Amino acid sequence: MKTRFLAGLALLTTPLAASEPVMFCERPLTAQPIAENTWMVEGLREELSTSNCGHIGNQAFIATPNGTILIDSGSSPHFGEALKTLIAQHSSHPVRWVLNTHHHPDHFFGNAAFDEAEHLTLASTRALMARDREALIDNIERLTGRNLARSHIALPDTIEAGEVTLGSYPLMLYAMSGHSGGDLVIMDHSTDVLFLGDMGFYQRAAATAHSPGLQQWQEELNELRGLNARIAVPGHGPSAPPETVFDQTAHYLAWLDQHLSDVANEGLGANHALAVEIPDAFNTIALTKYEFTRSVVQLYPRYEARLLWGTPQ
Amino acid sequence: MATPTPIITLQRLAAALTAFLAAFIWLIFMLPSTALATVNTAEQDPLNSFMWPVYRERFLGDATVVFDERVIVNAPEFAEDSGQVPIELDASELEDSGEPITDIIAWVDLNPIPRLFHYSPMSHGLAKLSLNIRLEQASAVRVAVKQGDTWHVGGTYIEAEGGGCTTPGIAGADNDWENTFGELQGRLFANESEQRLRVRLSHPMDSGLIPSQPAFYVQSFELLDQQGQQVAALDIEASVSANPTLGLHMRPSLEGYVIGARDNNGNRFSIGLQP
Repeated sequence: MKTRFLAGLALLTTPLAASEPVMFCERPLTAQPIAENTWMVEGLREELSTSNCGHIGNQAFIATPNGTILIDSGSSPHFGEALKTLIAQHSSHPVRWVLNTHHHPDHFFGNAAFDEAEHLTLASTRALMARDREALIDNIERLTGRNLARSHIALPDTIEAGEVTLGSYPLMLYAMSGHSGGDLVIMDHSTDVLFLGDMGFYQRAAATAHSPGLQQWQEELNELRGLNARIAVPGHGPSAPPETVFDQTAHYLAWLDQHLSDVANEGLGANHALAVEIPDAFNTIALTKYEFTRSVVQLYPRYEARLLWGTPQ
Repeated sequence: MATPTPIITLQRLAAALTAFLAAFIWLIFMLPSTALATVNTAEQDPLNSFMWPVYRERFLGDATVVFDERVIVNAPEFAEDSGQVPIELDASELEDSGEPITDIIAWVDLNPIPRLFHYSPMSHGLAKLSLNIRLEQASAVRVAVKQGDTWHVGGTYIEAEGGGCTTPGIAGADNDWENTFGELQGRLFANESEQRLRVRLSHPMDSGLIPSQPAFYVQSFELLDQQGQQVAALDIEASVSANPTLGLHMRPSLEGYVIGARDNNGNRFSIGLQP
C-alpha cells in the first residue's frame, strides 16, 4: 500500500516524468529502456530469499497502441502489484496480455496482479505449471518467508507457437524446452528484441533443475542464433547482444555436460564431480558455485543412467 | 598542617581495577584449559551436535573414540534433493597408516532412522565408499572407522534446503517402480591400486515410516570372490536413498567380484563384474 501511495504522490507532483521510484522489498524497482516502447525490469542476481522477497527474475514490457504486453510477472502477486505501478509510469495503456515464458515461480506467480489481462503460455508450459504448482508455492513461501494467497496463483491460458498478433502488435513465438521442459521464446521483429526467458542466463549462473538435457538446451540456443536479433533479454541478468548471452550460457552448459560425462565415465561419484575447480571464466558469474552444486546433484544420476546403465532418463 | 590523605584516590582506584581485570582475564583464560585437562578431548564434537553423546554410546559403546581428520566425509553443502544426497567416505590415509580397518559405521544425527550403514571391508574392501542418503533435516552426518580398538570419527554438516524451482517430491517420485524392481546393474573400473565397482539396484527402499506403506528395503549387500567366498559386507538401513547406488572400492582381483543383495522380504539379487 505504501508503494501505491508513493507512486500516487509522484503522479501528483510530477505528472509526466514520474521520478519517484516504485519500491519493492525496500528497494527501488526500475524499468530500463531497451528499445522503442520496450523496457526490462532486472531481478537481483540472487537466489530466492527473505532479503529479496523473491525478486530474482527479469520481466519485460512492450507498450503498444492497443495495450501493454508483459513478459513474465515475478514471484508473487505482491510483486506483480509493484510491477503494475512501475509499468504505469512508462506506458499509458494498461497491461492487456501477460506472456509467461516457463513454469518456474519467479516467472508467473505475479500474474494475479494483472487480473484484467489475458494470461498466455505454451500448452507444454501450462502442463508443467499444473504439475508443480503446489510444490513451487511451498518453495516460495519457505524461501521468501512470505505467505502467498495460494488461490491467486492461477494457471494461464494456452497459446500456440508461431506468428501471433496481440491487438495489432505482431510477435513471433518459439516453443522450446531446453531449460525447463516448456520454454516460450519471444521475438519482436518490430524492434529486433529477443525475449529468451530462462533459455538464456547472463552474468547469473544457469539453473538446470528441469532441463530435459544440457545438449538439447545447447542445440536450441543454436537455433535461436539464426534469428538475427539486435538485443536479447535473458531470464536472469542484464540485457546484452544475443551472441554474448548465447555464448555465455552455451559455454557453461557445454563445460558442465562434458564434466559430468567425464566423471560418470570414470565410475566415480557425484562428490567427485563437485570437487572440480570451476573455470575462471564462470567464476565471475553470480551464483556459479551454488548453481553448479545444484546441477551436479540433479543431473549426475542421469549421466550415470545414460553412460553406465544404458537407460536414458 | 598535613592535609589528610583520602583513603580512596583515583590512582588507587585505577590500580585496584587493573589488578581486578588482570585476575579476571587470568580466570577467563585458565578456567577452560584446566577443565579441558580433565576430560577426553574426543568428547569435544567438532560439529557441535547435541546428539553426539547419545549415538556415540549407542553405536560405539565404551571403545576409545577420537575425532580424526583422516576420516574424510564429502557431501554437498546443502541437500538439493533431500531424498538423494550423495555422500562419500575416504579413510584411505588412515588405512595406509596402521592396522587393518575392521568396521565402518555411519549415521545421520537427526534422521528418524539415524543409522545409514555398517560396512565390513574384510579381506578385499578398501576404506572408501559412496552412496546416496535421505536427509530429514539439516544435520551432522558421521562416519566412524574402527582400526584396532579405536574408533576414528569424521563427519560433515549438510544443510537441508533445496532451491526455488526444485521439486524433489514430484521430479523424484518413482511411481512405477514395479517395472524395474530388482534390476541390479554394475560396472567395474580398474586401475593398478584398486577396482572400483559402481552398482545400482532398483528398489523403493520404503522405510515403513509412511502410514500404510510397510517397510520394504534392502538390508544387505555382500561381495564375493569367484569362488563364492565372502570378501566384504555392507548392511544398510532405510535411510539410504531409493534405488541404492553404491561406489565400492576393492583390492584388485583378476576375476573380479560377485555382488549379492537381499531385502527384508527375502528377495535376493546378484550380479558378477569382471575387469
